[in-house]
Amino acid sequence: MNAIIETRALSKRYAAPRRAGQPGGRLAVNELNLAIEPGAVFGFVGPNGAGKTTTMRILTTLLQPTAGEAWVAGHSILRDPRGVRRVVGFMPDFFGVYDDMKVHEYLDFFADCYGIAARQRRSMVEDLLTLVDLSHRADDMVDSLSRGMKQRLCLARTLVHDPTVLILDEPAAGLDPRARIDIRELLRELRTMGKTVLFSSHILLEVADICTHIGVIEAGSLVASGTMDEMQRFLRPIRVIRVRLTKPWNTAQETLFGKPGVSNVRPAVQNGPEPITEFLFDLEGGDEDLCALLTDLVQGGAGVITCSEEKGNLEDVFLQITQGIVS
Amino acid sequence: MTQAGQDSPVGAPTEPRRRRSRLRLSWPLRALRENPVLRKELRGRMRGRRAFVVLSVYLVLLSCLTTVLYFSYTTIAQQPYGPDTYLVGKIVFGGMVGVQLLMVVFLTPAFTAGAITGERERQTYDLLRTTLLSARSLVTGKLSSALTYMVLLILAAVPLESLAFLLGGVELEEVIISQLFLLVTALSLAAVSMAISSWSKSTLTATVLSYGYALLSTAGLPLLFLMLTPFLGLAGFTLGGAQEPAAWLVVSLVYLGGLVLATNPFSSLILSEVVLIQEQTLLFFELPLSQTSARYPDLWLISPWVIYLLFYLLVAWVAFAMCVRRVRRVER
Repeated sequence: MNAIIETRALSKRYAAPRRAGQPGGRLAVNELNLAIEPGAVFGFVGPNGAGKTTTMRILTTLLQPTAGEAWVAGHSILRDPRGVRRVVGFMPDFFGVYDDMKVHEYLDFFADCYGIAARQRRSMVEDLLTLVDLSHRADDMVDSLSRGMKQRLCLARTLVHDPTVLILDEPAAGLDPRARIDIRELLRELRTMGKTVLFSSHILLEVADICTHIGVIEAGSLVASGTMDEMQRFLRPIRVIRVRLTKPWNTAQETLFGKPGVSNVRPAVQNGPEPITEFLFDLEGGDEDLCALLTDLVQGGAGVITCSEEKGNLEDVFLQITQGIVS
Repeated sequence: MTQAGQDSPVGAPTEPRRRRSRLRLSWPLRALRENPVLRKELRGRMRGRRAFVVLSVYLVLLSCLTTVLYFSYTTIAQQPYGPDTYLVGKIVFGGMVGVQLLMVVFLTPAFTAGAITGERERQTYDLLRTTLLSARSLVTGKLSSALTYMVLLILAAVPLESLAFLLGGVELEEVIISQLFLLVTALSLAAVSMAISSWSKSTLTATVLSYGYALLSTAGLPLLFLMLTPFLGLAGFTLGGAQEPAAWLVVSLVYLGGLVLATNPFSSLILSEVVLIQEQTLLFFELPLSQTSARYPDLWLISPWVIYLLFYLLVAWVAFAMCVRRVRRVER
């Protein structure tokens, strides 16, 4: 794999507060090894204080690591920070406001800071405002925008120099549901534009919809990482299967009884005296085992209408793999 | 996995090119013209009525002061054939330069103390640091934007000062030196305030420290003399008591005293004027110490305004370098 973001044994230890007199200080990132492939939308998940922001600040050259090395698009954060800045668009977890600027001036200023010529800036700013749906507010003062709009403007700011990599720290934090959906849609749009996106969140459900990859960090260490499917399999070795029938489940129950890998056959809904026509069971096995079971159920005359795999509650998964060390 | 550090950049865009300027400006001017921070700051500063109102109020106050000075002196200095216009011109001009100097001392820290801390407090500092804007450009932009407004205020008063020409008593050299004096004072105060701002955690701290420095560099010398008066008296008595002090001691004291006096804006301005009138020279003058005692040599001294300009240009350069260094430093 040709990783576009790579960290190798990356560590960051903050100096101890002088007054506290603690030796060593706090270890925020602990020998982090991360590899993100080009075009991925990588959800960086972890509880508050896990080391997500510190990692992102190191990757954007704002913070120096204590040990280890990191590369973004082939540029070393230690030896070529300017090269890194050229290819990275960074959105911190706060919105920096210039209260004396208009919306289009704000984007124009940052484009100017990236050395983009005035002639190109004008059309580029218009395009970006269209992308984030703020064209109608182009002449308004930045300070007058709502929080969701500011967040969208901030996202547009990260794109002014057409970066290959976007690093977004909690992009949906503190937004109302509508604004969250807008940001999520924008991230999808960026994914289709071929950008590599690394974004953090402490809510796993928030990232599950849009991510191609997930990395879970806790106490500065990566505890799990991979594609969404890999993570599901890794985190849930026992699959939960839901079956709907045209008739009561007695036949199905008999068919599944004693089958290898099958356990905990149970009704999906407890509906009192009504006959049970929908049930769940746990399966320890692969797709072929499931196919064989399904064939048995159909041939046994259980009246199967649908059979689907429960995706499971990602929050449960999150709680399962994080131990709550830092939160 | 391949080693990303050794691979060619994946999809890395090339460095954007700037449009070539049609005007053939020299490097510093071109760098300033293309500085995004300067453009942003000037646009923000000149937007709305604030800048216009401040400038107007400042000029009105200065005009009032000129009028008061003129009428005060002409009323007091009653002579058979009217007041001496030569002296009136000098007083009006000197008074205005003094007020401008006060304005520079009080306004410059206000414009610059929050330059870097303000960015941190607005949470825009990190955003700027992740762009391709260099630390030098950021500091230059902030410094030059503050100075541009100060220069506007200084130059806007030139027509008022030129009234002194009508009265006489003021030479062109005096006008040029006074303007250089004001500009260098503004530059050094701005650079030091910027440096303080880059090392401070909050704008409040930076402002207090900047005004502390401004006070020390302007009123510090009189305060120092006030505190040292008893010791100076004792030293004078001791030195002049039994025998004449050694030549090296007198020469050292003259040079040291000259340096101290030359680095204070008010004493430097007054002494420069004295040298200009009495010695009729701009750059060097001779101090005939041998008239006091045959053991002492005659000394050649540099006019205070030259020392002042050189000293504070050096201060400004050191402060600028420190500020750039602090802004460039990656957080540890």
